Amino acid sequence: MRNILKLLAGLSLVVTFLMVQSCGTTAEHKALIITGQNNHNWEKSSIIIKDILDQTGIFETEILLSPPAGESMSGFLPEFNKFEVVILDYNGDPWPDKAKLDFVDYVKNGGGVVIYHAADNAFPEWKEYNEMIGLGGWGNRNEKSGPYYYWKDGKMIKDTSPGKGGGHGARHPFLVINRDTEHPVTRGLPEKWMHSEDELYSWLRGPAENINVLSTAYSDSTKGGSGREEPVLFTISYGKGRVFHTVLGHCGKGDDAPAMHGAGFITTFQRGAEWAATGNVTLAIPDNLPNSVSVVIWDKLSPLTVEELLQKAGKYNIGMSRKYLADLTERIRRVSDDPGELKKYENKLLKFLDSDATTDSKNYVMKELSWMGTETSIPVLEKLLKSEDTAEMATFALKRIKSE
Amino acid sequence: MEKRSTRRDFLKKTVATGIGITVFPQILPASTLGRSGAIAPNDRIAMAVIGSGSRGMSNVNWFNQNKEIQFIAACDVDANHRDRAKAVIDKHNKNSDLRTYPDYRELLEKEKVDAMLIALPDQWHAVIATAVASKGIDIFGEKPLARTIREGRAIVNAVEKNNIIWQTGSWQRSVAKFHRACELVINKKIGEVKYAEVGLPDAHKLIGTPPVMQIPEGLDWNFWLGPAPTKPYRGVSHWDWRWIMDYSGGQLTDWAGHHIDIAHWGLGLDRNGPVEIEGKGVYPDEGIYDVPVEFDFTCKYENGIKIRVANRSRLPYDMGTTWYGENGWIHVDRSKLIAENPEVLKETIGDNEIHLYKSYDHVRNFIECLKSRKETITPAEIAHRSISVGLLGEIAMLTGQKLSWDPEKEVFNDNNHANRLLSRPMRSPWKLTE
Repeated sequence: MRNILKLLAGLSLVVTFLMVQSCGTTAEHKALIITGQNNHNWEKSSIIIKDILDQTGIFETEILLSPPAGESMSGFLPEFNKFEVVILDYNGDPWPDKAKLDFVDYVKNGGGVVIYHAADNAFPEWKEYNEMIGLGGWGNRNEKSGPYYYWKDGKMIKDTSPGKGGGHGARHPFLVINRDTEHPVTRGLPEKWMHSEDELYSWLRGPAENINVLSTAYSDSTKGGSGREEPVLFTISYGKGRVFHTVLGHCGKGDDAPAMHGAGFITTFQRGAEWAATGNVTLAIPDNLPNSVSVVIWDKLSPLTVEELLQKAGKYNIGMSRKYLADLTERIRRVSDDPGELKKYENKLLKFLDSDATTDSKNYVMKELSWMGTETSIPVLEKLLKSEDTAEMATFALKRIKSE
Repeated sequence: MEKRSTRRDFLKKTVATGIGITVFPQILPASTLGRSGAIAPNDRIAMAVIGSGSRGMSNVNWFNQNKEIQFIAACDVDANHRDRAKAVIDKHNKNSDLRTYPDYRELLEKEKVDAMLIALPDQWHAVIATAVASKGIDIFGEKPLARTIREGRAIVNAVEKNNIIWQTGSWQRSVAKFHRACELVINKKIGEVKYAEVGLPDAHKLIGTPPVMQIPEGLDWNFWLGPAPTKPYRGVSHWDWRWIMDYSGGQLTDWAGHHIDIAHWGLGLDRNGPVEIEGKGVYPDEGIYDVPVEFDFTCKYENGIKIRVANRSRLPYDMGTTWYGENGWIHVDRSKLIAENPEVLKETIGDNEIHLYKSYDHVRNFIECLKSRKETITPAEIAHRSISVGLLGEIAMLTGQKLSWDPEKEVFNDNNHANRLLSRPMRSPWKLTE
């Protein structure tokens, strides 16, 4: 517990009482992360969440630490109303009644909430909280907590059969399918995306009222899962308030938190937080998102720059994943209506062809240039005619470019 | 359509005048045709098949149910396919006369056939179809018509120039259910239709990167590749080529010639094309599979009609064609013809209404047309317009652009980049026959 204070101080953050405040930002939305007790590595996850949010430029994020587990909670009285969105990375002792009442008031009156991973394990006995989170697990939750809720035959169904609430199989990467593609959080994102290695919460149960499931993932029974399409991202409206609930993003003790570095987790978290804060999403769809096949990890919690991407793409040999090349293609497609942008990419690709990138990656790039290149490409391609390994694709590209 | 002088005509004349001409192959007595004994030699239709793999041979067997047909030659770059063709066809013909060729050019030089059956990977369609057409030989060609729009147009031109009969393997046109659905739609039994959906198969499972393998005995891999870029052999020559863009556009282009073809037919658009195409594909990044695993695009036609084409699980009515009219929808696929209002399905088509071309058997339709010299139920132009929709969608997805298309000139308006994707440079020495 005390380590986090050192850690936070190390990040040049100002620590006042248990409130950690970043300085000097003029972002639009004030966000509060509540943590301090969790069966997960909250010291790490809360910092990552702060980075994820601050990186958007639209949040000014503070972290509020609760007293340590087992200590008196009586002085824990967050000032929710100072914030447009409250992110719960908390799974611990009950809050004092005043805090609970304040929180319910805050949400009822239009406050935004993000429920992150094990926060849906918290407060099994707090009725209003369970209504806000829609679904929860563990903490002796069972049929009395509400139905199981999962995707079957093209829709979400409520299953009132008895049994405990909450569980998960072994950690592994899995496919997330956006079921509501018109919601501000998911609109424009890949409809199916591979999520990085994570715990897939399953068998969640709860009131499931005023709930809208954005995304589901198949909980693989061969990996110890439920064999159901479980909800992983959903929203709940509570009074005038908006709750965004992500079950994703496991962060264990001593692991690298791959789940929190997955591009899909980060992007939906940012968008979910903005939606919870404002009811809308203004954040642009980032580059470098996963498709239905391979995981995309953002080591720095942000997308690769084109230069970083080209660097990685240049190591491609047939048999390896084409994901960096495929992402390059995707980026080109996104700007392809703008001749100026296409030209910029052409110049980068030509530099790439002149680099020590692999033959297989150059051949891929030449195919791309064959349609989007201009006469600027001709001399570079002609140079590649001289090497046996690249001559055929260079011929292919030259024929196309000259066919105009 | 003007009648050309056919080989059968020539044979009739020479036999009638008693001029001793040795023709190769020599005329066989009708009795050698076994159960087809009733067919006079001059009514026989001598055929060859180019591409005697699984599709080619199932078509051969279909043709062989018709007593006029006699296959005299088969061509394939794989010796195993040649051997199988010889075994199957000789058995049917009750002789051992089938001649086999590894090279279609040799077949065209040596054999005199009335009609050709072509069933090849897509990258070969246009090169071989235009070469066969240039010899004045009638063709039954598998769908999709061609790998690119320019290649498809070249086939249509070759068919017209050489005045040959062309049938495409889009056999759904000869199935009553599809015909009935299209007649109901085109006669406005569900009112004006402004929108249709076409569901094609979901992605085949990915195939990874199979190792470079020893080329199997008897397979000429370089010849198999033909106009496509040089690639080492990874065992994709007999099925999985469908998932590699150098040879095919995947499920989208494999199936465009079926359900898009039907959508067009019902809307009376089968000799037309869209003016605007927009959509999105999802491309895998693992393995050599590089065609889209998801596709979803919409074409707008000049009359305002829109057709959305997508892999089946993206659409409410799954595989097949669904037309949405003012008074409900009609859906047809291989297993069913259904309507929002089932009463619609009982409607009769009056004498003064539109009656679509009727065929009960797709191969039989071709054979009848060989004799009558009339157009088949799926001539090259119609097949070209069906696959064009798939190929335009492919280009829209590859470029990420909303495309404006001139269906008459067959060019994208003011878009040199997209226009380059209307053709694929061919590896030397392969080219289309003008």
